[in-house]
Amino acid sequence: MINILALETTGKYGSAAVITEDGRVFCASSETEMNHLRDIITISDEALKEARIDKRELTHIAASRGPGSFTGIRIGVTTARTLGQMLGIPCIGVSSLESLANQALERASRESALYIAPVINARRHQTYAGVWKACFTYGPDEGTVIPVFGEKQYMIEDLLELIISDAAPCGGKVLFTGDGIDAYQDIITEAFVSGGVSDQLVFADEEIRYQNAVSAARIAFRNAAAGQTVSYNDLLPEYMRLSEAEQRLREGTLSDKIRKAGQI
Amino acid sequence: MKDGKFLTLGIETSCDETAVSVVADGRGILSNIISTQIGIHTQFGGVVPEIASRRHLEKINDCVDRALEEAGVCTDDIDLVGVTYGPGLVGALLIGVAAAKSIAYACDIPLIGVNHMHGHIAANYLEHHDLEPPFMSLVVSGGHTNIVNVPEYNRCEKIGGTRDDAAGEAFDKVARVIGLGYPGGPKVDKAAREGNRDAIAFKRVWLEPGSYDFSFSGLKTQALNYLNTERQAGREINVNDVAASFQEAVVEVIAEKAVCAAEEFGQKRIVMAGGVASNSRLRELISEKASARGIEVLRPSPVLCTDNGAMIASAAYYAYQAGERSGYDLDAVPALEF
Repeated sequence: MINILALETTGKYGSAAVITEDGRVFCASSETEMNHLRDIITISDEALKEARIDKRELTHIAASRGPGSFTGIRIGVTTARTLGQMLGIPCIGVSSLESLANQALERASRESALYIAPVINARRHQTYAGVWKACFTYGPDEGTVIPVFGEKQYMIEDLLELIISDAAPCGGKVLFTGDGIDAYQDIITEAFVSGGVSDQLVFADEEIRYQNAVSAARIAFRNAAAGQTVSYNDLLPEYMRLSEAEQRLREGTLSDKIRKAGQI
Repeated sequence: MKDGKFLTLGIETSCDETAVSVVADGRGILSNIISTQIGIHTQFGGVVPEIASRRHLEKINDCVDRALEEAGVCTDDIDLVGVTYGPGLVGALLIGVAAAKSIAYACDIPLIGVNHMHGHIAANYLEHHDLEPPFMSLVVSGGHTNIVNVPEYNRCEKIGGTRDDAAGEAFDKVARVIGLGYPGGPKVDKAAREGNRDAIAFKRVWLEPGSYDFSFSGLKTQALNYLNTERQAGREINVNDVAASFQEAVVEVIAEKAVCAAEEFGQKRIVMAGGVASNSRLRELISEKASARGIEVLRPSPVLCTDNGAMIASAAYYAYQAGERSGYDLDAVPALEF
């Protein structure tokens, strides 16, 4: 028996989804932007009620562990850890990027896109991104994604160079998704135009562009079936970036005054 | 319930301590787990909010487990969960709030959001088992300096507060300026014991007559000016004397105002709370001034003066008794007023 509650709070709007043994998914979403902490239990409860599942019947708790909003990540992961701890059930961490890639799979199939590139805006030309290859061997509903370029922090220009020089020459279309489109659509378009491959560029519609718990729940379902779970204490965020203070400490650019005060 | 006792789980993550405690009937500490981050933040010269938030997340569930284990209870025995929802660092607060809401939801028990400052006052209920309101409270911590009238459980009336820096902030700033480092409070206190508190004439800031408010930001400027003058004149600076004189200027104003407030409101007791209540000179001076006017001074032991989950559990218990309840929509409120 598998009944999973999946939480997705790494983007602007939080959502919670319950996936049941038969693969059906029930979802509830926040209606207010960045209202994750206030809404998380309420939307989780709504999704459970929709699914007619009691919380004690849950077998796993999943959370999108990032990348994305640091605050959002922490709310989802802390809630998942604590629900797992209290209900005595294992946890599953899901990548928000992989979740976005899966969410775009159907659209990729319709567009015959070969690659899916989820891009999350990390500001100042930075992104959290990865590139997946879309596989439709078993038809669109049973498609999968296979990682091509690893998930990490990319400058948008570096990511585009990588995609245009390595992926685009294969001839397949590249489907961009994620809130990185909202920030960098012009930069992306320009790079494809100047690379002479503008016919290979597709952007995901807004309906599937942003993180949603339904996709996280489906990935969690596969992981649960494969026994890929962790104990609540081992469910950790994927920030993909050190805190600014740690970065500066590592680079040796922490202010002298602070370092001196700290050493004494 | 266990052995006829009402059990409250208290969670506190407003700054740099991840703390969880189990308290029986609002008074008896069954466990008090505090995972401090001071060692981590020292290298940065102060609390780094992003690092604090990350650390709270990694520690919170383990602290809950340890609190239950040390108390010898299981989750089914817990009757109530209380959590600090403000004031504090927003990223730090939300870890505690998210965890507390999840516990309340998963275990079907009531939830109470606690004002961190009310928690500091409630620390005294844990230390002094026969203490009951009414009393006057002096809450002095890293971020707050308040005089609070407490007419009954779960009611706190602020009658004075700081207009700029809190006392603890002033200690931290001056400690940095004279090279004592972070955390400033205990380091200034220690250095001051070796110094002469009359060595440097720091100006006391009383504000307008009858006011119970404070202002400490000018003291940092005074300290800076003094250090510059001495350095320019080529004189050697005695750090202990600066610490002692500065500290005296802060605690004298606090002690005097607290005692005057107790007198004006007819309170026979002053109850100290917050991290700076551990300051040895403040304790000494306020006791002197109060006993001269027939007022008793109570304070928690140092471990209960710092941030802890037990004080939050106690405050939650009395809020619960007064009929308060928080919903699952409880949010973190970083600038929560008294």
